[in-house]
Amino acid sequence: MILQALKEYYDRKAADPESDIAPEGFEKKELQFLIVIDAKGNFLNIEDTRERIGKRLVGKSFLLPRSVGRSGNKSYETTFLLWDHIGYLLGQPIGDPKSSKQHQTWLAALSRLDSGLLTDVGVNAIIEFYNNNELERAIASPQLKECLKAPQCNMSFRLISDMCPVPCRSKVQEFVRNNTTRIIDKEVSEEKEQTGICLITGEFGVIARTHSRTPINKDTKCLVGFQKNSGYDSYGKEQGYNAPISKSTEFTYVTGLNTLLKSSSQRLLIGDASTIFWSEKPSSFESDFSFFFKEPEKDNPDIGTEKIKALFESVNSGAYRDDDSTSRFYILGLSPNAARISVRFWHVGTIAEFAGRIRQHFEDFAIIKLSREPEYYSLWRTLVNIAVQDESENIPPNLAGDFMRAILNGTPYPATSLQAVIRRIGSDTENRVKPVRAALIKAYLNRYHRFYPNKNHKEVTMELDVSQPSIGYQLGRLFATLEKIQEEANPGINATIRERFYGAACATPVTVFANLLRLKNHHLAKLENRGRVVNFERMLGDIVSKITDFPAHLDLHEQGRFAIGYYHQRQAFFIKKE
Amino acid sequence: MHNWCLEVWGDYACFTRPEMKVERVSYDVMTPSAARAIFEAILWKPAIKWNVTRIEVLNPIRWISVRRNEVGGIVTNPTARQMAGESSEPLGIFIEEKRQQRAGLFLRDVRYRIHGYFEFTPPEKRKANNLLLSEVWADDQENAEIVRLDEIEAKYAAMFERRAKKGQCFHRPYLGCREFACDFRLVDEDLEPAKLINETRDLGYMLYDMDFERNIKSPPPLFFRAEIKDGGINTDRREVEVRG
Repeated sequence: MILQALKEYYDRKAADPESDIAPEGFEKKELQFLIVIDAKGNFLNIEDTRERIGKRLVGKSFLLPRSVGRSGNKSYETTFLLWDHIGYLLGQPIGDPKSSKQHQTWLAALSRLDSGLLTDVGVNAIIEFYNNNELERAIASPQLKECLKAPQCNMSFRLISDMCPVPCRSKVQEFVRNNTTRIIDKEVSEEKEQTGICLITGEFGVIARTHSRTPINKDTKCLVGFQKNSGYDSYGKEQGYNAPISKSTEFTYVTGLNTLLKSSSQRLLIGDASTIFWSEKPSSFESDFSFFFKEPEKDNPDIGTEKIKALFESVNSGAYRDDDSTSRFYILGLSPNAARISVRFWHVGTIAEFAGRIRQHFEDFAIIKLSREPEYYSLWRTLVNIAVQDESENIPPNLAGDFMRAILNGTPYPATSLQAVIRRIGSDTENRVKPVRAALIKAYLNRYHRFYPNKNHKEVTMELDVSQPSIGYQLGRLFATLEKIQEEANPGINATIRERFYGAACATPVTVFANLLRLKNHHLAKLENRGRVVNFERMLGDIVSKITDFPAHLDLHEQGRFAIGYYHQRQAFFIKKE
Repeated sequence: MHNWCLEVWGDYACFTRPEMKVERVSYDVMTPSAARAIFEAILWKPAIKWNVTRIEVLNPIRWISVRRNEVGGIVTNPTARQMAGESSEPLGIFIEEKRQQRAGLFLRDVRYRIHGYFEFTPPEKRKANNLLLSEVWADDQENAEIVRLDEIEAKYAAMFERRAKKGQCFHRPYLGCREFACDFRLVDEDLEPAKLINETRDLGYMLYDMDFERNIKSPPPLFFRAEIKDGGINTDRREVEVRG
């Protein structure tokens, strides 16, 4: 299903003349350096193609003959067509025992080139370059230091008269197009190829023994791969033959996957899972999806809010903007595990379904807050505010995926999120209930009770609800009022009851409230404005009348309501009545 | 040929996709070969071959992502030294050395109804099953007349029905992987009509079974195009195209 949907995406892109997805036999790959030579193979210089994008230097991408997977201690025996790593082209760095072997492979591959390629001027120039020992001049050139310093150094040659490197010359490209899988594999596949039914297309074809790699988290790993002799061989089958996928299908799904992982608009990092999403047909939901969840960009902070508003406005049509609401939408969460990629989540649905659920998520999260707070919270901001010390590396690894799953399935948020937020409020003595935390608790409780109805639960509202029957909520309000009295009695005090007593008041109210109510009398006595005192007394009377008893302890849900009651009451103090 | 219907359910299930059997990802629904294994867990004899005609999904498809420890290796055949009983490397697997942590995407709270029938193979058509001793009869007449009279389809049908009703099984039936054991019961569809999930879509190619008849050592896989229609999947080999 996953691979099939990826293949569909590739086919859709390949059919679109405006997309620049690599055709079969090719791959989009960065070449950081180009060795510039003339038509006779004389060395001129080494060109650095890298440009600074953000903090990183990124090489220029070219459409190159496809690379092949190589791993293990014989990996040096494989090279790509007319481009490769510096070890292959120049045999550098000298100290590395591998690079000289790699260079030998490269030279051997050059000498064995197909006659169809030898008619090209560029290819001949490369051969001349090695024949005339121009290699030494290249190694002696001052730019070489830069190449060795670069974290990644893929190279090729460029004729001084051309704009593009030799592997991109039209003759070479034409040759590759006509010999899609054969050319590179020729040296690798000495064993016999196996044929069979492809499990994605159901067509008969040559089965891929190994699958190409996918870049993920600064590394490249396989989505489909079976190590030999490690418990994966079954029914007498090894490696790729465990799961017959034909070579051309393998190319399409890997290219589709890699294109999505490289794309800026269709990829999103959720926790440690790289999440990609795509729809059956081109849609604006597909290109706007990431804005629903990611932090606003610095240069255009309102774009996410606009997209979410568009989501709300399209209530009538049921979908998003002008999209076909029944079009299928796929969401795939991948994360690296050992040498492989594991699927963390996989959701299939229609655009209308997902649009509705995401809308519901933002509706559940709506809560009264100050205007300087963002209108909608990104996923990262929600999670980071419940992680230890508010740091993103402390986000529990499973939580992000589970949270995303809850949003996309429209199911209750994970119980761990409520536990985490209450724990975090308990440990964050300074801020306690931040708006985002209150929003999360509200969303959690409302959604939970939508799935598990309980007649004692009254839905938590966006702003202060004086008639809320929950004891936790009223205790929270009482606590906020007591804090306010203390603040007004002792302005500029270092540690208020919020810092000292919040945790105990929330978990075991009976142990602290008697003490706090006694303290309150002293605070009120200090207030000079008697009208204010009467006001507070009335307010306290109003809240206490709803409290029958101080419970010995509150359960987790009541602790959540305590936090919201506290938050709502504090907001009510700040926001002037109109 | 009687068509039986079993209801099976369990907390977890993993009908591993072949392409993702390392970091396991399950198919959306039960595969015909997993359903066959459940029938075989209740009754299997060399005389019968189970076929699954229909799989019905009763619970909505839910997923769970689990990271767990698995063994990265299979038990090898004993070496000559080991067979001779001489001191040598131990035969077992040491979990500390072979442990692998793998993530899996499994199904949660599943309930299916599976329909199947068995094909009966008369004794003369059965492949010899490595009999060590030849069969011994009192006389020629017994061999010819009496003994084989009970070798009829109805015998096995009655056996299956009796065993399935009582909840007997040779080994505990499971949902895709041995660790996901399941419960089962024989149901009469007319008395207890099932309420299936409301889902109709194409599930893509799915593993049908391994073709042991073609090659017993390295059987090629068989695939079919699975389509769920109002919660049911037709897996009848007489009706759907099976490739492989």
